Amino acid sequence: MSRRAAAALALLVLILAGGLALTAPGSLPAAELSRAYLPPWEAPPFGTDQRGRPLWATLAQGASVLLGPSLLAGVLVALAATLGGLARCLALPWLDAGIALVGELVGSLPRMVVVLVAALLLPGGARSLTPLALVWAALCAPGAIDEAAAVAERLGGARFVEALRAHGFGWARIFLLHLAVRNLRPVVVRQGAEVTLQVAFLEIALSYLAQADDQPSLTHSDRVRSWADLLTMGYPSLVLDVPTGHALALGVGAMALLVVGTHAAVRAARAR
Amino acid sequence: MAGWWLRPLLRLGAAATLPLVVPALVAAVVWALPGDPAEIICPRSTCTGGAELAARWRLDAGPWAFYQAWLGDALGGEFGRSWRVLQGVPVAELLTEAVPNTLVLVGAAGLLVTLAGLGGLTGALGARAEALARAVGVAPAVLLGLLAAASIELRYGADAFGPDAASWRLVAGVAVLVLADGAFGGALAGARAATAAERAARYVGVAVLRGEAPLDNMLPNLAPALVGQLRARLVQLLSGAVVVEVVLRLDGVGDLLWTGTLLQDFGVVIAAATVFAVFSAVLLAAQAVAELIIGGVVRRVPEGLAS
Repeated sequence: MSRRAAAALALLVLILAGGLALTAPGSLPAAELSRAYLPPWEAPPFGTDQRGRPLWATLAQGASVLLGPSLLAGVLVALAATLGGLARCLALPWLDAGIALVGELVGSLPRMVVVLVAALLLPGGARSLTPLALVWAALCAPGAIDEAAAVAERLGGARFVEALRAHGFGWARIFLLHLAVRNLRPVVVRQGAEVTLQVAFLEIALSYLAQADDQPSLTHSDRVRSWADLLTMGYPSLVLDVPTGHALALGVGAMALLVVGTHAAVRAARAR
Repeated sequence: MAGWWLRPLLRLGAAATLPLVVPALVAAVVWALPGDPAEIICPRSTCTGGAELAARWRLDAGPWAFYQAWLGDALGGEFGRSWRVLQGVPVAELLTEAVPNTLVLVGAAGLLVTLAGLGGLTGALGARAEALARAVGVAPAVLLGLLAAASIELRYGADAFGPDAASWRLVAGVAVLVLADGAFGGALAGARAATAAERAARYVGVAVLRGEAPLDNMLPNLAPALVGQLRARLVQLLSGAVVVEVVLRLDGVGDLLWTGTLLQDFGVVIAAATVFAVFSAVLLAAQAVAELIIGGVVRRVPEGLAS
């Protein structure tokens, strides 16, 4: 796949997910028990749930829950990686040592454990994915910075900047164009995209686990549903004769769409 | 390089402080929440005698006193009592059951991930295996765990989550932990990439011309990076164990931490999080010791050159 085609695919996925999130209803439509468990061909586009409500509403609400915080975490990590890579070219050994120290401490604990301890701080009435996404981004940032800094180091670091200065290039052109856009771009976009996907999957996992224990989700209010609801609803179709396979397929399909979009973004940003 | 021992020493320092810092953070969280911590156990609307209860649970003298008392007890093997999950039950009892399960789960998965790394290092597992492992590893643990749980339910029916199916759930858990979130693929890819980069070095070419095995020459230089990768993978497995244990209903520390978090049982959370911190500290210390040993061996003066 060419870089342009990959960029177009990534953009398409973003528009689809963003469109879904923006059109998400504030609350689910009223139950119509006579329309329960309808497959997609009888209740287009995605069928209905056990109470006869259209599954697109769950899909859209799920997108609204995870899209913003996931993108925010991804952008923050990409930004941190860019700054880390640029800082390496400034030859500031104390900064490198500081990043290494923070990375050592932050990276030594299992991320899920830190996220769960952070979740304890969320008041019951204000549960949201955003603070957890920020914690996840903070945990991922040192690794991303380290990798971007390694790329800058391989490029020559401060000597690379000196060489371009000798050519008469300005600071902005050197740091923004030659370093950030032309050289750090692949690693920065990959790190950002990976964290975006990780946070989206984190939301689905946390919501699913909460449902498994009959508890409210840590990531969204009870008025809203997550893509984990699609998995919970669809799971019985794997083991019992319950007609909810379409919900499972929709949930897995939505997750697959995110994976495709993420990989397309990484491919679009790869080096020439 | 001068000061090569600084990083391992930093790791040892971090390993020594982690089990102290984590319970301190949890204690800080308890007091950071609005309201009196004793009300988490005994809400004023439903029970009386909050002051006595706070004194009994050491919640009456502030976070520092609570932390000191808890840490002192923990060093003696006493981890306090559950606040909500199983109110009043000693947490040590819960941990006695949970820790071995988590160790077996993560240990078996870690062994397989280590084998993946060795396969990448020796070339026994090539590009096709890496591509396959990476493709499977795209799936998150919750999704693979769900499929594994379904397969167990199909096999055992109503007894799927009873004691008879426990060993199958454990095997399924290990498989999910290894395959999900790119653990196996990442270990294989990491080892292959590090080996390929080292193999391109000039000294390896010279060694080959001398008729020596490349791996023998590369290993001392590669080992610190591979040990670091392995530690990162094991930490990833510990993180994934939380999801796998809950989905497959394995009674591990991750499951305990999750339930404690959902129910705001700080008695359970502080102990479970500290156990995870101890696991992480052991891994950090092991990496540091390995690096110090490798560094010492690599930098020793060759026999016959000493004056």
